[in-house]
Amino acid sequence: MTKAPITSKVQMPLLMVMAVFLIVVMPVLNMTGHIQDYTLNLWGKYLCYGIMAVSIDLLWGYTGLLCLGQALFFTLGGYMMGMHMMLMIGKLGAYNSNLPDFMVFLGHSKLPSFWEPFYSFPFALLMVFLVPGLLAFIFGYLAFRSRIKGVYFSILTQALTYGASLLFFRNELMMGGNNGFTDFRSILGADLRTGSTQRILYITTAILLVAVIFGCKWLTNSRFGLIQRAIRDSENRVLFSGYATANFKLFIFVVCAMIAAVAGALFVPQVGIINPSEMTAEKSLEAVVWVALGGRGTLVGPVIGAISVNALKSWATREYPDFWILILGGSFVLVVMFMPKGIVGIPAQIQGFLKRFKRHPGRLSKVVQTETEPAES
Amino acid sequence: MDRQGFMTRLMWIAGLLGIVLAIQEVSAQGEMSVREKVAAAITMPDSDNQIAAVLALKLTPSPEIVEWLGKWKEGLVFIYQDETGATIPVLLGEKKTGTRKVTMRRLDDDSVVKAGDGMSVEVAPLDVEMAETSSKLRKAMKQVTDLAALANPDLALRIRAIEDSAIGQDPEKLPALLMLKKTEQNQKALDALDESIAIINLRSVDTAKRVEAAGLLGRRGSLAAFDLLKTIAAEEKKSGNRKMEEAALLAVKRIEAHISTINATGTMFRGISSGSVLLVVAIGLAITFGLMGIINMAHGEFIAVGAYTTYLVQNIFAKGIDLSPFGKSISIPGMKLSEGGMDMYFIAALPLSFVIAALVGLLLERSVIQFLYRRPLESLLATWGVSLVMQQLFRLIFGPNNVQVSSPTWLSGNWTVNDVVFGWNRLFVIGFAVLIIIATWLVLNKTSLGLLIRSVMQNRNMAACMGVRTERVNMMTFAFGCGLAGLAGAFLSQIGNVGPSLGQNYIVDAFMTVVVGGVGNILGTVISALGIGMADQTLQQYLGNPVIGKILVLGGIILFLQWRPQGLFVTRSRSLD
Amino acid sequence: MKQKPFLLAAEGLNKSFDGFKAINDLSFYLDEGELRTVIGPNGAGKTTFLDLITGRTQPDSGTLEWDSEHDLLKLNEYEIYRLGIGRKFQTPTVYGDHSVVENLILSMAGPRSIWHSLFGKVTAVQRDRIAEILKTIKLYSEAHRKAGELAHGQKQWLEIGMLLAQEARLLLVDEPAAGMTDEETYRTGELLLSLAGKHTIVVIEHDMEFVRQISQGRTVTVLHQGNVLCEGHVDKVQSDERVIEVYLGRKSKAA
Repeated sequence: MTKAPITSKVQMPLLMVMAVFLIVVMPVLNMTGHIQDYTLNLWGKYLCYGIMAVSIDLLWGYTGLLCLGQALFFTLGGYMMGMHMMLMIGKLGAYNSNLPDFMVFLGHSKLPSFWEPFYSFPFALLMVFLVPGLLAFIFGYLAFRSRIKGVYFSILTQALTYGASLLFFRNELMMGGNNGFTDFRSILGADLRTGSTQRILYITTAILLVAVIFGCKWLTNSRFGLIQRAIRDSENRVLFSGYATANFKLFIFVVCAMIAAVAGALFVPQVGIINPSEMTAEKSLEAVVWVALGGRGTLVGPVIGAISVNALKSWATREYPDFWILILGGSFVLVVMFMPKGIVGIPAQIQGFLKRFKRHPGRLSKVVQTETEPAES
Repeated sequence: MDRQGFMTRLMWIAGLLGIVLAIQEVSAQGEMSVREKVAAAITMPDSDNQIAAVLALKLTPSPEIVEWLGKWKEGLVFIYQDETGATIPVLLGEKKTGTRKVTMRRLDDDSVVKAGDGMSVEVAPLDVEMAETSSKLRKAMKQVTDLAALANPDLALRIRAIEDSAIGQDPEKLPALLMLKKTEQNQKALDALDESIAIINLRSVDTAKRVEAAGLLGRRGSLAAFDLLKTIAAEEKKSGNRKMEEAALLAVKRIEAHISTINATGTMFRGISSGSVLLVVAIGLAITFGLMGIINMAHGEFIAVGAYTTYLVQNIFAKGIDLSPFGKSISIPGMKLSEGGMDMYFIAALPLSFVIAALVGLLLERSVIQFLYRRPLESLLATWGVSLVMQQLFRLIFGPNNVQVSSPTWLSGNWTVNDVVFGWNRLFVIGFAVLIIIATWLVLNKTSLGLLIRSVMQNRNMAACMGVRTERVNMMTFAFGCGLAGLAGAFLSQIGNVGPSLGQNYIVDAFMTVVVGGVGNILGTVISALGIGMADQTLQQYLGNPVIGKILVLGGIILFLQWRPQGLFVTRSRSLD
Repeated sequence: MKQKPFLLAAEGLNKSFDGFKAINDLSFYLDEGELRTVIGPNGAGKTTFLDLITGRTQPDSGTLEWDSEHDLLKLNEYEIYRLGIGRKFQTPTVYGDHSVVENLILSMAGPRSIWHSLFGKVTAVQRDRIAEILKTIKLYSEAHRKAGELAHGQKQWLEIGMLLAQEARLLLVDEPAAGMTDEETYRTGELLLSLAGKHTIVVIEHDMEFVRQISQGRTVTVLHQGNVLCEGHVDKVQSDERVIEVYLGRKSKAA
């Protein structure tokens, strides 16, 4: 009966308000000149992060799988879109060659065959889903089959990300080495440097974010959602209820990899650069911070977390460049320890706090510890 | 060939003749220093006598000969004729400012040339004559200097000279080598002599000698002769000398086998040493993660704490250090110790790195970790936050760049056994790992703390019921694990860079090592560290690409866990989940 | 006349943990429709035996046959479950964060595919069945409470309810009376008796009062050191000297 009453009641209207604000109000304000192009572009970036955060929450908050590889899938999606956009630069690059600049620079004269199909936008889009999806499938299949879970899963995904970033730093991979891709000109024929193109990209991102949230809402409210949370709380018991948990985990893992990948594919044209430094376990962990801060196990929380942490970051890196990381790291420790439900959970936490205070006015200190949920065993 | 042989013989005879003459001279003049002998040779009236005198130096080979004959050859020795008409070989001094004249020092006794009145004589450089050398004389000089180099009292340099003498297979060098072989006492030098002689003999006119030489080189697995033997085999195939060709081919085959043994041993050695690095880095984690189940993402930063402690100790032993954390400047005075004292700083740094890292660990355990014992995923996240903060603190205190930590001089150099090079630093790595493992094992198995640690880790509740103060044990165990990380830091400062992100380079590897070894098992960690180190080095050896090797190792680990999901050693329990 | 095949036949099972023989050459046969009680002192291997049947643990040697056509050793946990073998664990394990109804929905007999979990609906028949089970296990009024908030005894019943929802052919019930009051224990006994005949049931229990209540002339199996010490009517078992020595005797001494 105490099952997160405030969050679930608030969520739906909050969600609708957020959707309208992000999809309609922001672009309109931009067109009327009340919001600068720069700001809108920044928000486009935040929303991409928001989508990735939802995918992390779907794994961590709902299924108990703390994946440190979401930044990898995000970046892979970005790379797939980036390959298409690199080819769309055509002869406008620094070397006036049909080849992407970095290939000319490395002394290649012919486009590698795996690049060829990326001239087609639909193919690139397909790859945005397929490449990260396939990687997630193979890795997930191996990991879940051998029943690797909990922190072991986290550590292994961290290693996967680490290995992949090592690979992408190599020039031999023909993916731009440590400089990655940049200098994009156009997407689907539209000039990337105009405000209107960026606005359309922003709107696309906002719509996608809302769609993802609603999709996840449906998913988590289905019987699948029940099983997901059951796996999170007691995976062994689920096995003894006749469910092949490995398949369920694999399914959600692949879905989340694809969600993160789409976010990455939208991120690249808005930011204009993609390189392997985005592909680290630290980036994944940073995204986990957003989720933890916003409130895991909810769908709005991760988005709120992603936007607020990144907005804070943009401001703090300018104002306090030396202390920003101290603030981030420190606040993260505090959130994990004292606010297990994040920002979204604050009202419930205060409520519970007051209730306890009335009952046992002298035992405030205990609240913090008993308020936490049992973790994955 | 023939002509050259004749010339050599001629020179040799001339040399012997010279020796005979010189012996008379020596007996007449008593014991002369090398400088005096060279000076005397310069003043000899004609070229033949000069040659004889130079060759006579062969009797008393010493490195000094190389120096003075070298000066003569390079035209740095001049002839000064004094008032009495005596010719004196001299070296010119520095030109004084304001004059064009220079002072002179005698070649024989290094004294300043003085006139009868006791005043030092000054001359214009153009007024003195250079001591000339003819090409015959220079050839004789070379013979003598080669032999003198071979007589270097320093064993390493002598062996180097012996090995160098084989280059070019100059038969003229044979007599010197053969002569040295009669007097040489050291077995290594003798082996080198045999090898050099054989290499020169490969170009001998006598086929029997050549075959014998090839046989010897093959048996010895001579690396120096490898390319030459291959060339000879190809040459003799063309010329149809079957016997020599076969001998050369056999030798090549034997040397190849030797080379692959060297490579395998070398790879194994490097594998063990890089496995030892992993082990040292992972052993602390095997305690905190393996035994306690805490995912300490800041483990790498504890390594950095140890490394920075070592850096501070080094500076305190030397001339002190100025730091400016948070805009405040702090000066720590140094003890200004001499070289010998500096070499000792590492010994002092070891216990300190352990203690300081352990104290920081204690602080972390009390402030954060103790609340997260039952929530491993949360402890992962919180400690990652701590790791961010610690890295940034390192940057603010010690600066964003790598700091200089010098390693003691005894860490450079190497030890060569049967052509396999064992670097001291790698041997140090292995030795250190062994020590740390023994220490950890002793603490866990032979102390009362170890007993408590093991009881709490096996069954926390039971231990608590038996009156064990589990909180304290947790604290101590975590501090112990962090202290070990600090030791690893002190150790890494000796073999790599020390910077704010030092720990980040090792954290993934360290976790992999513990996961593969099997949680809760120190022996598993040891074996997995060595296994991963070996696999890594072997792949590097065959692929020639460290990155691809590393990626394959990571992939291999994932596949390995398919086979043994709980690592090498499973700690069984009958409890649910 | 051809004998009716056993529902469950275990032969020559062995399992040791680090040298400790938990199951030692155990053979065990169960007919369809039986209500069998298994007793034995601590460490007799009762729970390990259930672990072997449900695929939680693999034996070192031996055979386990289900309905004379399935080799249980080749199947994993959820495949064994799908054959109709349900288990109630020693400590009640329900989904604490889910409501009572959700716990039952998760256990409902039916397809277990991802597709079905996404698009399958709870049918009216299933709804009725859930209501019926809720009444049987006396949790109707608690249907929407979180299972984690239930009292210990209620959790035990919910777990039995989950077995009913599963429509298991074989119910493996591990210490259902543990931690219950006498009255709850008695009602649990009644519940199990009412299921006998419809389902095949194996009950593992310590409480001799309870054992006597539910066995009522049925076979009782005594396990000792991983092996069947004796088998038969409860009175016969209770008067068997070996049983008294290893189990009852010790128990009466302790009491």
